[in-house]
Amino acid sequence: MAVRPGVPWARCSPPSAWGCWAFAESVFLILAATTIVSALGAVTMRSPVYCAIWFALTLLGTAGLFLYQGAQFLGVATVVVYAGAILVTFLFVLMLAQPKGQTAYDRVSWEALLSASTGALLVGLLSAVMFAARGTGTAATGARDLANAEQRQTEILHPEHMAHLGRQLFSRHLLAVEIAGTLLLVALVGAIAIVAQGKPVPRRSEEAPHG
Amino acid sequence: MDEFQLLDRYLLIGALLFGIGLIGFLSRRNMIVMFLAAEMMLQGISVSLVAWGRFHNDWGGQVLVIFILTVAACEAAIALALILMLYHQSGQLDIVVWQSLREANQPKFVEDALPEETPDVEHWPTLPPAGVEPDQPVEEMVHRSHV
Repeated sequence: MAVRPGVPWARCSPPSAWGCWAFAESVFLILAATTIVSALGAVTMRSPVYCAIWFALTLLGTAGLFLYQGAQFLGVATVVVYAGAILVTFLFVLMLAQPKGQTAYDRVSWEALLSASTGALLVGLLSAVMFAARGTGTAATGARDLANAEQRQTEILHPEHMAHLGRQLFSRHLLAVEIAGTLLLVALVGAIAIVAQGKPVPRRSEEAPHG
Repeated sequence: MDEFQLLDRYLLIGALLFGIGLIGFLSRRNMIVMFLAAEMMLQGISVSLVAWGRFHNDWGGQVLVIFILTVAACEAAIALALILMLYHQSGQLDIVVWQSLREANQPKFVEDALPEETPDVEHWPTLPPAGVEPDQPVEEMVHRSHV
C-alpha cells in the first residue's frame, strides 16, 4: 500500500515495491517534521529575527509538502512569494523597527498556559472530527475514491500541471483574478498612504492646500 | 485507501500549523511576531486546502491557495506599514502600549513580574593568535650561498 504522490520520481513502478514505499514515506516524514518543528521554533524564539528565519524554514517545508502532493506551482510560488518577498519585508521592518538589545516584551508572553491549551484543544477537536468522519464515510466515499484514482491522473495530477491550473484560473475564476489584481493595487496605494501620513510632510509654503 | 491516508496526514499537519500559529498569536507580544503567527495560520489552511483539492480531484483548492497568497501579500504590505507607523509613534513594538484601545469593561493590564534580564551573549568567532614570529635560526637568515 504505497502512497503515490504526484511527483514523478516518487511514483513506484510496481506499487508494492518496499524500497520505493519507504523512500516516499521518509520524504514525507522529513518534510512534515521540518514544518512542525520549525513552526514551533518560530513561535517560541525570543529574538524576532530568529522567529522570521524559523518561519522561513516552515515555508520551505510547506512548499515541499505542496510539491509532494503534486501542486507544483504552489510549491514554487510559496518559496518565491512568501519566503522571497513577504519574509524579506518582515526582515526589513525588523531592521527598521528593532529596539536595541533584548526587549522585555519579547521575553514575556501573555497567558502562555491558556493559549497553549486553546491551541491544543483546537487541534484535538479538529483531529477528532477528522477521524470520526473517516469512520462513517468510508463505505460510501470509498467507491468514489477508487473511481477518482484514475481520473486524478488526467486532471489534478496531469503532467501538464501549469496548463491545467492556468486554464482553471483564467476561465472559471477570471473575475476573482481581476479582483485580486485590483486588491494588490489598492494595498500598494494604501501602504504608501499609511506611511506617508505618519510623517509630517514638509510644506513648501503656508498657502499650499492641505492634502 | 492511499488517498484517505494522504488526506488525513495533510489535514493533521494543517491543523497543527494552524494551532501553533494560534498559540503564537495569542501569547506573543511583539506585533511583528504576532503577524508572523497569523501568516502561519494561513499556511495551515493552505495545506488543508491543497489536500482537499487533490482528494476531490478539483482545482478549486489550489486556486483558492493562490488567492490566499495574493491576500497575504496585500496584508503583509498594509500591516507592516501600520506596524512601522505605530513604532514611530511609541518607540516599541509592544502591543501593550496600545491597550487603551481595549474594551471599556476590560481591566487594565499591569505588568507585575518583569522577567530577569538575560544579558546578550555575543558570539564572535575566535581566531588563533596570528603574527607570532616563528623561531628562525640566525645562520640561515644571514647565510648567503656562493653564486
